[in-house]
Amino acid sequence: MKLPKEKYGKRLTYGDYIYNFFATITGLTIFNIEFVKQAFLPPYEISEIKKHMSELGVKTLGIVSITGFIIGLVLTMQSEPVMIKFGAADFLPGMVAISVVRELGPVITALIFAGRVSSGIGAELGSMRVTEQIDAMEVTAINPFKYLVVTRVIATTMILPILSVYVIVIAIFGGFIAITISNGMNFVYYINSVVNSIEFGDFIPGVAKTFVFGYIVGLVGCYKGYTTEGGTEGVGRASTTSVVLSSLLILIFDMILVKLSLWLWPTLG
Amino acid sequence: MVMADTRIVKIENLTKRFETLSVLENISIDVTHGENLVVFGRSGQGKSVLLKCIVGLLHPDTGKIFINGTNVLEISIRELNKIRKNIGFLFQGSALYDSMTVRGNLSFPLKRHFPDMPAKEIDDKVKYTLELVSLEEAIDKMPSELSGGMKKRIGLARSIITDPELMLYDEPTTGLDPITSKEISELILNLQKKLEMTSIVVTHDLICAEIIADRAIFLKDAKIAYEGNIKELTDSDDPFLKNFFSHELIKA
Repeated sequence: MKLPKEKYGKRLTYGDYIYNFFATITGLTIFNIEFVKQAFLPPYEISEIKKHMSELGVKTLGIVSITGFIIGLVLTMQSEPVMIKFGAADFLPGMVAISVVRELGPVITALIFAGRVSSGIGAELGSMRVTEQIDAMEVTAINPFKYLVVTRVIATTMILPILSVYVIVIAIFGGFIAITISNGMNFVYYINSVVNSIEFGDFIPGVAKTFVFGYIVGLVGCYKGYTTEGGTEGVGRASTTSVVLSSLLILIFDMILVKLSLWLWPTLG
Repeated sequence: MVMADTRIVKIENLTKRFETLSVLENISIDVTHGENLVVFGRSGQGKSVLLKCIVGLLHPDTGKIFINGTNVLEISIRELNKIRKNIGFLFQGSALYDSMTVRGNLSFPLKRHFPDMPAKEIDDKVKYTLELVSLEEAIDKMPSELSGGMKKRIGLARSIITDPELMLYDEPTTGLDPITSKEISELILNLQKKLEMTSIVVTHDLICAEIIADRAIFLKDAKIAYEGNIKELTDSDDPFLKNFFSHELIKA
């Protein structure tokens, strides 16, 4: 696998930035193809995947719980006056639930996950690269791509949908707290309103796209870390650019996937 | 009568360039079974590049590298990995896996290469190898808890745990104090004798070379400038060698 090298330095020209943009796109594509090729070949490193899933889950559970709760709470607080103004206060739980299930839950979780995990993977693999740990693996006839990259990408792809569903539940609970504080809505009534307004079709595209987001977070973090150059400065750069690039790709793919889901499930519109 | 080829490494006309910078130019080296070859040279003269080409971490532009008769530049990664299992590599910075304990570092290659090996046997082998480098007490330590010399020893233990036939050392004593440096050099020599390994040692540490080397080569301007035993090199009247070794002696 030969990856294009990006240019670094204090004085980069506009041409260098354009070159780096295309080098990253090309590099990520080659890296992606390599992942697909190696993911289906044994050994499957199941225990390593499980280990990463559990580590990533534990690492992000706290922050996504707080984020999810606040999203639900704030969304309800912000929307309530408008809904009351239009005489649609009864639809508030449903509106919050649909917003959280279709868009906010998956995307915010993915962005938080990118910030927490992609940077961590970028820094970890980057550090392994500059201290020759990846080379050490290679010279002992252990496939570092399989052991370090494939396992992490599969783990992020599998764990993000689970975290997203969890965040959706927490956000809906946050919405309930906000409504209870403002007008003392009954929990059963709230849950009934939520359940009646969400269809199964709302869940499918929302959760399905988190598989893609998880894949992006893992792939970008691994790519940036695996191709790190330039010592400790390079490790810092890998960590930062992992977050920026994966967040950007999450938003771009969100746009594409929303359009795709509306095309596949026209009733969602 | 046909003599058996005792050369474990045979390098023919090796050339490696980085863009326009020529690092190795038409290098040819033979290393026979059981021999300790020391590669001298100033920093940036391609010593580490030579080792990385031998083990397949870097691909040379031209030339051939034979290990036990197989040209490693013309084989698949699968076949190269079979050969790599028979090579140990001690990195300049030891390259210990910092997310694993010493036990994890040493057992990692065993678990990967011998999946059927019982856990008890792996553990015994780890303990025995740590005994060889006199660091049994470090078994449950993390690499961050080890000193520079201890890291080198653990790196060495990890490299020899699979009983390689060929050992490649990249600056094994760099960054160590003279006493630890001498200890590591003696350890390398003792292990080489005990385990009957062939070694290529890249260094600019004269004390280390004097302890280890059967033969030495000196890389200069991308070429092998001098070749011989250590005494021949250090006693040479060549102004460059005189200058180089006098600095090394002062340092030592």
